[in-house]
Amino acid sequence: MKKKLLAVLLAATMVVGLAACGGGSDSSTSDSTPTEDTSSSDDASATDDAATDDAAATDDSAAGDDTTASSDDPWADVDTSEHVKIVYMTTGDAPSGDKLANYEAVMEQLNAILTEKVNAELETNFISWTDYLSNYNLTLARMDGTVDLVGTASDWLDAWPNSKNGAFLELSEDMLKTYAPQTWATVPAENWELCKYNGEIYLIPEDNYAQWTNHGYIYRLDWAREAGLADGVHSWEDLTTYWKYVREAYPDITPWDSDGTHYAQMVSGWIGSHSTFVPIDGINAGAMWGGTKEDLYTVYSPYVTETDSLVEYAKMMKEWDEIGVWKTDVLNNTASTNRDDFKIGKTAADQHHTQTWTGLCSPKDPSNKIYEDDPDAEVGFFYFGEETKNVVALSITHGAMAISAGSANPERALMVYDLLRNDPDCYKLFNYGIEGVSWEMNEEGLRQQPEGYTDEKAGMVTNFWWGRNDDLEIKSAQTNWDAVDKLYAEYDGIKIEYPYGQFVPEVDSIQAKIQNINEIHTNYMKQISFGKYSGTAEEIVAEYQQKLKDAGIDDVTAELQAQFDALYK
Amino acid sequence: MKRKKNGEMTFIQKVIRYRVLLLMCLPAIVFFFLFNYVPLPGIYVAFVKYNYRDGIFGSKFVGLQNFEFLASSGKLLTLTRNTILYNIAFILLGNFLAVFVAILLNEMRSKWFKKVSQTLMFLPYFISQVLVGILVFNLLNYDTGFVNGILTSLGLERWQPYADPKVWPVLLVVIYLWQQTGYNSVVYFASIMGIDGEMMEAAKVDGANGFQRIRYIILPSLKPTIVILLLFALGGIVKGNFGLFYNIVGTNPILYETTDIIETYVYRATMTDFNFMTASAVGLYQSIVGFVIVMVVNYIVKKIEPDYSLF
Repeated sequence: MKKKLLAVLLAATMVVGLAACGGGSDSSTSDSTPTEDTSSSDDASATDDAATDDAAATDDSAAGDDTTASSDDPWADVDTSEHVKIVYMTTGDAPSGDKLANYEAVMEQLNAILTEKVNAELETNFISWTDYLSNYNLTLARMDGTVDLVGTASDWLDAWPNSKNGAFLELSEDMLKTYAPQTWATVPAENWELCKYNGEIYLIPEDNYAQWTNHGYIYRLDWAREAGLADGVHSWEDLTTYWKYVREAYPDITPWDSDGTHYAQMVSGWIGSHSTFVPIDGINAGAMWGGTKEDLYTVYSPYVTETDSLVEYAKMMKEWDEIGVWKTDVLNNTASTNRDDFKIGKTAADQHHTQTWTGLCSPKDPSNKIYEDDPDAEVGFFYFGEETKNVVALSITHGAMAISAGSANPERALMVYDLLRNDPDCYKLFNYGIEGVSWEMNEEGLRQQPEGYTDEKAGMVTNFWWGRNDDLEIKSAQTNWDAVDKLYAEYDGIKIEYPYGQFVPEVDSIQAKIQNINEIHTNYMKQISFGKYSGTAEEIVAEYQQKLKDAGIDDVTAELQAQFDALYK
Repeated sequence: MKRKKNGEMTFIQKVIRYRVLLLMCLPAIVFFFLFNYVPLPGIYVAFVKYNYRDGIFGSKFVGLQNFEFLASSGKLLTLTRNTILYNIAFILLGNFLAVFVAILLNEMRSKWFKKVSQTLMFLPYFISQVLVGILVFNLLNYDTGFVNGILTSLGLERWQPYADPKVWPVLLVVIYLWQQTGYNSVVYFASIMGIDGEMMEAAKVDGANGFQRIRYIILPSLKPTIVILLLFALGGIVKGNFGLFYNIVGTNPILYETTDIIETYVYRATMTDFNFMTASAVGLYQSIVGFVIVMVVNYIVKKIEPDYSLF
């Protein structure tokens, strides 16, 4: 009996062990799916587009040349006798095939320059888009010198939590002056202030690169005109008209094939369009706290106070759901390829930010097939906050570079960064690739793709979104600058600078409450934003707000107010 | 070699004597030691405010603060209940079905048919949960789903399971059984194979028919296996099947009421802020509850039938 039992036990252990292993690997693959979706729909991959589309003009060359040619070797006194390898960590998929060969060719040229100037070579540690935030943080947590230069961001790559966790090195003024002199000189003092936590500088901001990542709806302007909106969509009500028309006139098209992840952008867009709310970045994904344009430093949460507006929102979204703007099972729709579909005219809208629109509105971009198929095609942008002229400029730490606290060669890392950001040769190589292969100048001095260029062959993958520099940027010939400049000018007329750059919230004491509020916000806003709630709009909003109160949203507001008072008063 | 009284060997003697057996155990021992015992002190991370630079043991001790979010969500009870109820359904129905299938396989006379059906039942186990999630969505979704395609072509009204929390307990259990039964039945099939052939012969000679042989020989012989597998499964009763739930239900809040388990909730809540501490706190909570359950059940089994208890 005992022996047989033992045998069975062994067999069972094996099965249990196997099952456990199987389960483990399953869940790890499944982890990846959702984040992939998020990355395709939020800022992260949008910046992807942004990398290829340059931003607004600056009157550059003179100033640029001055700073870069100022001295022959700013590091004459620095001991660089030992050749070191600097690892640069960035979000983005590692290249393969032809792209890899191209990347290696670029790096070979770049490393030749770097070796000559600072006796260092650069290597890239790619954090692929699948599950990027977890992998990013895990790589940082290793702290064993695997990475030196870390591309980061206060609003989408946990720059502040990582600074607090001790993942980043404090950068003293002396260090910056000595090892990154050009960067130190070109970043104004007030911008360095915005990169401090507890009096220490942790981040080097990308503060000389114009881009707009405020969200809105990208839509077909030509179709909006057909729908009777002569000068396009300028309000949420116009959108309703637009959806209705598209549904009728183009019944084969899903107006907007959302994957259900846009709920937070939608509701914050609605609030931006119906109030002068200015949200604080970096507290939770929904950015549920902030002030108003008129009274920036009194913290409140419109999600609790703006009941009528939210009810109106809930009603409109129910209407959109009934019109059939998105698929019925939108909340389980993980297979959406809305943006690609938009480019070939199979969907009628996309919800994303201005940078994404600058790509989609450009007929010269060969991936935008709509312009080939339909000569009348035009793509417009309705930005959130248009009705109330409520637009906030991007925080300068939307892209920033940090040095890992585990880095063995922080000094040399800073020197390399200084070159990548300020040396014209390094900059062009690292951002655009090899001239004549990945890009070339046209007669107007704009950057265009050489003949025979394809993204698979010579596309750039370095994703240097942490130190782009308008002094060295060469505008892309592909972008529809007429439309883009017009919108940028409109923004410049109404924008306010991001007012809370200096505020790094201390959330330890309210972390549990924020986590629970996040969960409530997500659950209710998914249902409300896609019109999937049961009962009336009034009921669901009341229920949502009650839940928020029960979870302690007022305590969080009070705590943030106390921290605001300490900082700003 | 000198023996102790009544033939008992010293530890060293035993090691030498059973060296081959011990050597065979070694990989498993090393495995469990490395992956289950060495990391145990790391549990401490559930009680600190973790800082990369100071390491686990240098970080600030914060007591139970990391458990706070789970406790204060007001959902702990619902989540634990969902997790346990689903697991009970999985374990009981899963084992019942596995035994049933194993017996059926054993009774089959055509070897060819036996192999084919076994393979077919075995296959779903190897399909990734991600794919299962996609398959289910394509079967059940409202606009283009297979099921709804059939319903409409029959002139019936469309069915919208992704907006109806009530149907999911059934659906999830069915999907689980479809995936796991073939695999689980292997253990039972193996132990049926191990039943002494003479007993069967004797029963046949005594005139027992097929059902009687199952009732009086096969089932009683399977009892120890069933009990042990149940005990094993109970240890993990508070640990949800994340892959299954996450891939099939996704992040659709309409369905959470009946489908949210501890894993999926924690995943959503901590995904945004990459929180080692809270995740470890939850893991610890699950391990403790699981441990208590195993101890209690084992104690009960020992009272009733000491032979079947694990220890």
